[in-house]
Amino acid sequence: MKLHDVDVAVIGAGPAGMAAAIRAREAGAEKVVLMERAEELGGLLHQCVHNGFGLLYFNEDLTGPEYGHRFIEKALDTGVTPLLETMVVRLGEDRQIGAVNTKEGFITFRPKSIVLAMGCRERSRGALNIPGTRPAGVLTAGTAQRYVNVEGFVPGKKVVILGSGDIGMIMARRLTLEGARVEAVVEILPYIGGLIRNEVQCLHDFDIPLFLNHTVTQIHGEERVEAVTVAQVNGNRQPVAGTQRTIACDTLLLSVGLIPENELSIMAGVRLDPVTGGARVDETRQTNIPGVFAGGNVLHVHDLVDNVSWESEMAGESAARFALEGKQKESGKIVVRAGRNIRYVVPQTISGRRDTTLYMRVNEPEETVRIKVGDIMTKGVRAVKPSEMLKIELSAEKLGKLREGTKEITVDCEKRGGK
Amino acid sequence: MAQKKTFICIGCPLGCRVTLTIDGKGAVAGFAGNKCKEGEKYVLEEYTNPVRTLTATVLTEGSSQPLLAVRTSRPIVKTKLAEGMAVLAKVRARPPLKIGDVVVPNLLDTGADIVASGNLSS
Repeated sequence: MKLHDVDVAVIGAGPAGMAAAIRAREAGAEKVVLMERAEELGGLLHQCVHNGFGLLYFNEDLTGPEYGHRFIEKALDTGVTPLLETMVVRLGEDRQIGAVNTKEGFITFRPKSIVLAMGCRERSRGALNIPGTRPAGVLTAGTAQRYVNVEGFVPGKKVVILGSGDIGMIMARRLTLEGARVEAVVEILPYIGGLIRNEVQCLHDFDIPLFLNHTVTQIHGEERVEAVTVAQVNGNRQPVAGTQRTIACDTLLLSVGLIPENELSIMAGVRLDPVTGGARVDETRQTNIPGVFAGGNVLHVHDLVDNVSWESEMAGESAARFALEGKQKESGKIVVRAGRNIRYVVPQTISGRRDTTLYMRVNEPEETVRIKVGDIMTKGVRAVKPSEMLKIELSAEKLGKLREGTKEITVDCEKRGGK
Repeated sequence: MAQKKTFICIGCPLGCRVTLTIDGKGAVAGFAGNKCKEGEKYVLEEYTNPVRTLTATVLTEGSSQPLLAVRTSRPIVKTKLAEGMAVLAKVRARPPLKIGDVVVPNLLDTGADIVASGNLSS
């Protein structure tokens, strides 16, 4: 393959990368390579055998593999070139890519534009500093998911799950159906970390106890996990003396957050947002480096794959345009700030000249609020939760109401009057 | 004697706790706690006929892939999920199979088939 002919290189072939590559081809980029370190396209979708994918994008209730295969087939149909078992190990500021695979060894090339679609990884025990021994049986929920759904073994019989993220709750159900007993799901916050439908359909359906305002303070066991100590926490998330109790178990699953995988981005000099852990981008999903775009969980962690696909399509389309025109026509100059009860907003900058969708999350759950974008738009929302991403669409016409020379715009989540 | 049952509505992030009152004859007598009509619709369905899509994996034979992802072709009554798993424990999927191919027809007389939700090659 003549790699120097590449127009757009997409790094990572999960849902984000596939959507970006397909759209880049559709938008006219001639040669689009989709680089993936695994042996097949699709990323983590293969191990997500549960349903709930595509409700928004396809208006159908699909499983992960079903959702993935639609994109795999479309990628091949639209003429995307997959480059499998190829791991990108270098990314230069000049968009030079260095990658390794077993056929060609070390390869380098410089595409006209790049889409970062490396996804995210799970926070592990090391990030939590849980005291105790280091026995076998402590693993992330996603690792357990791979064991159960792809490799074919159940990692334990009596399980405690720390964290109520979606993967944790989904594994609580999956392990129960496979015959394990889930003793408890323990969440340090006063509310669940995942979607309500998962609390109902994964925990309540199977009578799995959920302990809010609790955490694991100790892991016991020499060779293998034998028990964990669980305690209630106070408002500062510190364990409360006298509330400890021990739950016998052989496995502790961690579902305590996801971290965008941005080592390559940092290597290339991409400026990151300390809150999202992903790149700072404009509404075309371009980073601070011209011709380098990002989409999906590498940019900010999503709760629904449908939004990953849509966002990455934007990045793919922008990358194609950049490859064809050699530059970006106009990039974001107006800074979007996160105001009251807003944790972050993506994109972080906008041009104010195109239709723009703002993706955001709140800090705290609240009811009866309105999302206010500067003084150009407000939208009433019945309830907001940190686990459920909000989308606000701004038309170019609305953005046209911004005063000439506007340098920043703030997004607030305000209480509405009434009850 | 009237009975009360509580449900959490999954219609939106609000997650209303809806209390359903059932009168002495087993008829629905009222809803409380829901902030919109959707809540009533959801709770009525959950009370009268709660259904779920069963998703799982089955062991394979004659493939390098140890497992095949499967699902019910449509949601089945919630109380049959465990029984459905017991059926799947005995199934061995043989290649070639494509997404949508029937692996177990009419699971437990629910009218739903178990279908492949991934592809299986040898």
